[in-house]
Amino acid sequence: MKAFEFFAPKTLAEAKGLLNQYGESAAILAGGTDIVIEMNEGHRKPDVVIDIKKLKDLAYVRIEGSKIHIGALTTFEMISSDPVIRERVRVLAEAASKVGSPQIRSLGTIGGNLATASVAGDGVSAMMTLNASVVLDSVRGQRQMPLAEFLDGQGVSSRNALLADEIMTEVFFEMPDNHTATAFYKLAKRKSLAISVIGAGMLVQVDGAGICIKASMRGGCLARYPLHFKAAEEHLIGNKISIDLLEETLPMLHDAVYESAKSRPWSVFYKKESVQGVYRKLFAAILEQLNGKSYE
Amino acid sequence: MNKISISLNLNGTDRTILVYPNRRVVDLLREDFKLTSVKEGCSEGECGACTVIFNGDAVTTCCMLAGQADQSTIITLEGLAKDGELDLLQQCFLDEGAVQCGYCTPGMILAAKALLLKNQSPTEAQIKLAMSGNLCRCTGYQKIHAAVKSAVVIYKDKMAQGGESID
Repeated sequence: MKAFEFFAPKTLAEAKGLLNQYGESAAILAGGTDIVIEMNEGHRKPDVVIDIKKLKDLAYVRIEGSKIHIGALTTFEMISSDPVIRERVRVLAEAASKVGSPQIRSLGTIGGNLATASVAGDGVSAMMTLNASVVLDSVRGQRQMPLAEFLDGQGVSSRNALLADEIMTEVFFEMPDNHTATAFYKLAKRKSLAISVIGAGMLVQVDGAGICIKASMRGGCLARYPLHFKAAEEHLIGNKISIDLLEETLPMLHDAVYESAKSRPWSVFYKKESVQGVYRKLFAAILEQLNGKSYE
Repeated sequence: MNKISISLNLNGTDRTILVYPNRRVVDLLREDFKLTSVKEGCSEGECGACTVIFNGDAVTTCCMLAGQADQSTIITLEGLAKDGELDLLQQCFLDEGAVQCGYCTPGMILAAKALLLKNQSPTEAQIKLAMSGNLCRCTGYQKIHAAVKSAVVIYKDKMAQGGESID
């Protein structure tokens, strides 16, 4: 591993000061489960490493008004065992509980997952389904933006909008209400220690009569960033949610995956079919939550 | 490159060491502290061979920089046996024949130990989940699972007879 200077700031102000001082030559270490491996394999060679894991103030799950705020250094273990997340935000609880392995979930953080923005980042798919926003902080001040905009951005790397002196401090989203169901399904070679082949999320909100008023469907590993199933969402909105209505979207999912991945024939033939099986699982979970009975 | 000072509680003893920061916790434990029970397998957090108990949680030390160990508490396999007597989990792995080549064994035992330190009467599903981050290419897992279950049962019996706590 290449030589570097190591800092472990004890306060956020200290961390922002170091980032301001070292900028592009610095790398932020949160859980370390991606970057330490990349550094060990020689893919990343920072001159300075800033270990922020000791900023305990950035590890929390907090409800403020109608929103849930999660500190960037909250581990997947903390998220998947949080009672509010488990009860109200199943898409996130399920995604967090399937990341890597128990060891990785105890180290890896949601902020690291979003900033690394891997094609197969299950946290990214879940948070996109929830239409989450991120908070970025620096000595220049704080800014926030929708996660979609963050991922589209060009910052210090092409992965996201994070500038060289910035640190992600928080991700937040609207707490699903009693008329909202959410679900996540990870398709992988094994249950544990396996990267997602598809990591898909779904959110459906209905009114008192069971008419869909909001739908969100995002599939990870199907495009550079979670694939947006816009046609399927539009097909649901304004209609009464039923298994038949949900299954009518399956050809739309097939077509969206084909369009997105057709340049990679070795994966598209499998994924355009398997995405439908994945969403059938999600439909059953969504209906079960909305109607209180099992559909499997 | 400046050396950094790392102070930690390692297997029950406070230790301080000066090291270069460009090494991982697995290197720190194996090379600086000579605790060679910590095995390096895949080097990318996907096999669990380098598992130790870090601040109470099982973690893979190949994905941690040495500096992350500062101000922490780490338990390796060397820290389990007390006064020449094997830990209950170690004894159960022996008794059940849960060891073949042995390379995954320290990580397996520590993953199980981390579970038992938090939950002294885990269900089968909780045992399987806790051990799901450790791969074994020899045993087929049955005997490893049996060894952990057996430790849970023996421990419950001991507690019922007014025995000591698991740590």
